Amino acid sequence: MSQSLAKQCNEVKERYDTCFLKWYSEKYLRGIGTAENNECSELFKEYSQCLKVALKERGIDKLLEEAREDNKENDAVYLGRKK
Amino acid sequence: MKVFSNSETFDYSWEEVSTANWRKYCPWNEKSTHVVAVDTLSRTVDPATGILRTERLITCRQSVPDWLKSLLGVGMEESQVLETSYVDPAQKTVTMVSANLTLSNLINVQETVVYKPLNEHQTQFTQDAKITALCGGWQRIRNSIEDTLVKRFRENAIKGKEGFESVLAMSRAVFAEEREREKMMLIREQVGNIRMAAA
Repeated sequence: MSQSLAKQCNEVKERYDTCFLKWYSEKYLRGIGTAENNECSELFKEYSQCLKVALKERGIDKLLEEAREDNKENDAVYLGRKK
Repeated sequence: MKVFSNSETFDYSWEEVSTANWRKYCPWNEKSTHVVAVDTLSRTVDPATGILRTERLITCRQSVPDWLKSLLGVGMEESQVLETSYVDPAQKTVTMVSANLTLSNLINVQETVVYKPLNEHQTQFTQDAKITALCGGWQRIRNSIEDTLVKRFRENAIKGKEGFESVLAMSRAVFAEEREREKMMLIREQVGNIRMAAA
């Protein structure tokens, strides 16, 4: 797996990525993994908490907010809400 | 604005490609070394469509030509991109849209990548990047900035294809190994059961 931007998050990121990949290939692609809560949710929460601190420290959180705003159009197109 | 377009065919099924895509930038990829970190920021399944939406933060480290460095400042060597991807399992499409976070007031890079099946064993990759230098001043400078970035896209695309090919090959090998191991475990279990029943 790839590294995290923040070294201290690498360990939990690795565990989450591995969990996700298994879920994606064995469940999601077979149409049995659409639930919002799955076996990786807890790990993701842990990883996100670690990452959130790192993003704030580096000032990336603000840049992300702007970029997300600009991406709303794409969401409308690719989530099929706009033809 | 300058445009960079590219398309490739991978001799793997869409399922394999879309799975391996999540670890395109792992150590199996020895080519795309400019990507130093990939972090998942959010991940949701759209209840209405079943589309998996993921936000990832991609951190790149790549040298910048000296003239550009002096023009934009040193903050360009490490740059970050927000990638939002949409997996539509019904249509068998992965769409990834990316925008630069770094120096976004001076340069705007919008990239769209799509993975679609060509047939059961082949997947098509298409890439489109629109690059716009926003800084005022001379057209010639804006042109040079855009050309430099297009050139980099082209170089990274070649490396990206080669690197992803090794990730796909490794993924297939590991998957086959896992299947084999699971089969062996099942056999061992059954043999054990038979022995117990016989005893």
